[in-house]
Amino acid sequence: MTRRRLLGAAATGVTAAAVLPMIGVTPAAAATTTTATYLTADPLLHLLRRATYGTTPALIAEATKLGAAGWLNQQLAPALIDDRACDAYLARYPNLTKSIADVRATDSGNWDVMFDTGRATLARATWSRRQLFEVMVDFWSNHLNITCPSDNVWDSRHRFDADVIRVHALGNFSDMLVASSLHPAMLHFLNNNVSRKGSPNENFGRELLELHTVGVEAGYTETEMRTSALVMTGCTVDQATGAFVYKPRWHYTGPVSVLGWSAANATAEGGYVVAVSYLRYLAGHPSTARHIAEKLAIRFVSDQPSAALIDSLAGVYLRNGTAIVPVLRALFASAEFRASIGAKVRRPYEDMVATLRTLDIRPDVSGTAGVQGLYWMSSDMGQAPLAWHVVDGYPDVALAWQSASGLLSRWNNHMMLAAAWWPRTLVRRPLRTLLPAVLPLTWGGIVDALATRLLSQRLTAADRAVVLAFVGKTSTGVVSANDQWLTWKLPYLVALLLDLPYHGLR
Amino acid sequence: MTSESSCGCPDHEAKTGGVSRRTFLGAAAAAGALAGLSGPLMSSRLAFAATGAPYTGDVLVVLSMRGGFDGLSAIVPAGDPAYYAARPNIAVPAAALLARDAMFGLHPALAPLLPYWLDGTFGAVHAVGQTDATRSHFSSLEEMERAAPGTSLRTGWLDRTLGVRGGGSTFQAAVVGNSMISQSLIGPAREIALQDIDSFGLDGDPTVNARRARALQTAYAAAPARMAVPAATAVGALATTAAIKAGGDAPANGSVYPATPLAKALREVSRLIKAGVGLQVACVDYDDWDMHVGLGKPVAGGAMNDHLADFAGAMASFARDLGPAMSSVTVVTLSEFGRRLAENGSGGTDHGHGNAVLLFGGGVVGGTVHGPWPGLAPADLDNGDLSGMTDYRDVLGEILQKRCRIGSLSQVFPGFTPTPLGAVRIRP
Repeated sequence: MTRRRLLGAAATGVTAAAVLPMIGVTPAAAATTTTATYLTADPLLHLLRRATYGTTPALIAEATKLGAAGWLNQQLAPALIDDRACDAYLARYPNLTKSIADVRATDSGNWDVMFDTGRATLARATWSRRQLFEVMVDFWSNHLNITCPSDNVWDSRHRFDADVIRVHALGNFSDMLVASSLHPAMLHFLNNNVSRKGSPNENFGRELLELHTVGVEAGYTETEMRTSALVMTGCTVDQATGAFVYKPRWHYTGPVSVLGWSAANATAEGGYVVAVSYLRYLAGHPSTARHIAEKLAIRFVSDQPSAALIDSLAGVYLRNGTAIVPVLRALFASAEFRASIGAKVRRPYEDMVATLRTLDIRPDVSGTAGVQGLYWMSSDMGQAPLAWHVVDGYPDVALAWQSASGLLSRWNNHMMLAAAWWPRTLVRRPLRTLLPAVLPLTWGGIVDALATRLLSQRLTAADRAVVLAFVGKTSTGVVSANDQWLTWKLPYLVALLLDLPYHGLR
Repeated sequence: MTSESSCGCPDHEAKTGGVSRRTFLGAAAAAGALAGLSGPLMSSRLAFAATGAPYTGDVLVVLSMRGGFDGLSAIVPAGDPAYYAARPNIAVPAAALLARDAMFGLHPALAPLLPYWLDGTFGAVHAVGQTDATRSHFSSLEEMERAAPGTSLRTGWLDRTLGVRGGGSTFQAAVVGNSMISQSLIGPAREIALQDIDSFGLDGDPTVNARRARALQTAYAAAPARMAVPAATAVGALATTAAIKAGGDAPANGSVYPATPLAKALREVSRLIKAGVGLQVACVDYDDWDMHVGLGKPVAGGAMNDHLADFAGAMASFARDLGPAMSSVTVVTLSEFGRRLAENGSGGTDHGHGNAVLLFGGGVVGGTVHGPWPGLAPADLDNGDLSGMTDYRDVLGEILQKRCRIGSLSQVFPGFTPTPLGAVRIRP
C-alpha cells in the first residue's frame, strides 16, 4: 500500500459523522452539503477545472468556442498551441538553455539553475496556454521526483525537466522511464551512479520498482529488489563531464530475474542492453499499468477512483504500448470523470496559481523578481514546484493537505495577491476592473458579478448572504461607486470570495 | 467533547463572549497541572485551556526521524566486534564515544546531550523494530504510524490515543514546523498544524479581518467535514495564537536555540507548553537521515556527525528552555527503519530494520540503553540487519500508560500486549 493510497483510504474512514460532533458543526448541514454543492455542474467547466491550473475569462471563451472535444484535442497537441507570450517570459531564464557541460563550466556547484527551474515551472503553470501539458509535466515530475533543489543535481536537474519530462510528458511511458533511469540527475539522486557489482547501492533499484513502476503491491521479494539494483549496476555518470556513461567493469554479470523478466546477462559489455530491456519490461508490466492508471485517476478524477476505472485505464495503457494520450482521452471520456464534480481539492500551489490566473496577474515588466517572490510564497505554503523533499512526489489527496495553518496560508495569500502587497513587481490590473464598467445597481448584483468573474459561477444562497453580511449590505441595497468596499476594502471582498470553498476545489 | 459554541472551541468563546464557566473550570484544572510553570501568560492561560476532563499526563513530543535513522551510529554497539568488521570506513572509533559502557557508547556529536544522559533524563532503547519488514520508506512509515498491523484500521496511533482520552482543546495535538499532519494523527480527533506561531494569523486590517474570520467561520460551518474541520480549527485558534505571540518568544533559563529548522520547531513546542493551551501531543519531523552515500566520519563535516550535532543542539536547547517543566514532558524519537549493519560501496548504508529509540524527559530512566540486545553475528541478523527485539509499541505503550495516564491500550494498539521495559517511571 502506498502513502497516497493510505491517505485516500483514510479520507473515507474519517466520515462526517465521526468528525463533526468534535467541532460542533451541525450534522444536519453536512448531511446535505457535499463539495459538489459548490460547483456548477457544467461539464466544460468541470473539464477546465481539472485539466488546467484554473479558469480565466479568456480560457472559458476559447473552450466554449472550441467545445470540450475540440479544446481537449488542442491541449493534447501542445506544440501547435501559440505560446509566444509565455515563451518570451521564459527567455529571462537563460540558464535553462545551458547543457550540463555549460553549467559545469560556468556555475560549478551553484544552485541557481535549479531555482530557475522551479521558478520557470511556476511561470509556465501560470501563464502557458499549454495548460494540460503543464499539468502533466507536474504529474510526471512528481511521479519521477528528483527534489529540486537538492544536492548533486545542480548541473543536471534542469536538463531532466527539459529532456525527460517535457519531451515525454504526452509521449509513452516506456521511453520516459528509460530516459529517466539513465539520466544523470536520476542516477545521482537515487545513487545508482555509485552502484557497482560487489557493492551495489539499492536506492535506485528499490524505488524503480516501488515508486516508478510496479509499486509494492506487485509483491516483489527482497531478493528481486536486490536483483533490480544489480541489473542497473554500470549505469553511472562520468565524473569529469557529468554525462551518462555505461561502465562495463561495474556491471554485475550472471542470470537475473525479476517479476517474470529474466536475462542471461552473461557479459559485462551487454549489461546496458540488459538494463534497457529490464526497464522496458517494467514499463509494460500490468502492475505498472495499474499503478500509473491509479495515479492519473487520483490526479484527475477523485481521491479514491474505482477499481473498474483503474482496470479500464490500465487496459488502455497496455493496449497502446504505454502511450499516455490514449489513457487521458479514456479518462476524460469516462462516466466516473463526468460524475466527479467537486471531488478534488486544490493543493496549496494550485490554489496560488489559480489565484494568479483568475486575478489576471502578469509577470514583471522586466526581470524575474516577482516570480521569485511567488516561488517563496509557494515554498512557505509547503509546496514549491518540484521541491518535495523525499523520493516520492507531493501527495495529491485532500487529506494530506487538510490543515488549519495550510488554510490560513491560502487566505493570507489571496489577500496578499489581491491587495498587491506582495510580490510588488508583478503587473496587476486595477482590482475595480474585475467588476463590469457599468456597476450593478445593487449589492446582490456586485456579489454575483464578482463571484462570476472570480469563481466562474454563482454562490450558494447561504454564502451569498455571508458575503453580504461581511460588507454590511443587503441584497437590494443600492450601490454607491465610492463605497469603501469598492475602494480601499475591495481587496478584502475579493479575498473573501477566494477564501470560500469554491476556489479550493478543482 | 461538548459543542455549545458555534465552533465548539474555547478560543471562540474567549474571543466573542468571554470565558464560560465550563471553560473556566477546565482551564483552572489544566493550569494546576502545569503549576510548576510560571510566566507572563499565566493570566491568559485561563481562557485557553481544555474544556472537559483536564489532562494530567506528560506532554508527549514525537520526533519523527524520517528517512531511516541509523541508530547504530547514534547509540554505537562498540562492544560488538561485528560492528567494526561490517563498517570499516564509517564506524565510530570506540575511543571517540561518550559515556561508554561494556556494549554501548554515544556518538561524540551528541555531546550537548551528555549532561542529560548523566543526570538520567536522556536514555535509549536499542534493537527496536516493527512488524512491517518491507524496508520501504513509505510502507514502513505508514505501518508504524498506523500501528495496527493485521487490522483494517485507518487511523493513526496518536489519534486513537487522543480519542481514548477525549475532551481536549484545539491545541490538544500540534504538528509543528510543518503544515501537513502526520499519519499518526489521521482520524477524528482534532489536531492543529503550525509552521510557527507568529505566522499563524490573518494579515491586514484587524477590524476587517475580525469580520472576515466570522464570515469564514459561518460559511465553512456548512461545508463538508474535510473543509469545515480545518477552517473551524484555523478560525478558532486565532485568538490563542495572538495571545501567545503577545507573550513573546524569549526562551527561559538562558537557553539559546540554534538557527535550525528543528530548533525552531522545538522552540515553538516549548512556547505552546509554556502557554498552557492544553497541549497533550506534539509532532515534529526531522528528516534527511536517508544516507545511502557518504555517512562520513565522526568529525565536523561528516554527514551523520553534523546531522546528529544539529539534533543534539536543538534538543539540548529545548530541555534547558523548559527546565523543571521537563518533568512533565516525554520526548521520543521514531524512525521508519534502521540501517543495514554493513556499509555499502558508497560509504553509506542501505535500508535496514532494527533501530535505536531515544527518550528524553524527567520521567525517563536515562543514562542507560534498555531492551534485549540480539548481537550482530550473522546468525543474529535479520536479512543482514539488526534484529528487532523490542516492538516499538512496547516503548510507546509504556510511555502512554506510565506518563500519559492512558489506562488500557486495547484501542491504541489493538491486539497487542506490551512487554514492560522499565524505560520510564510512573508519573507521580
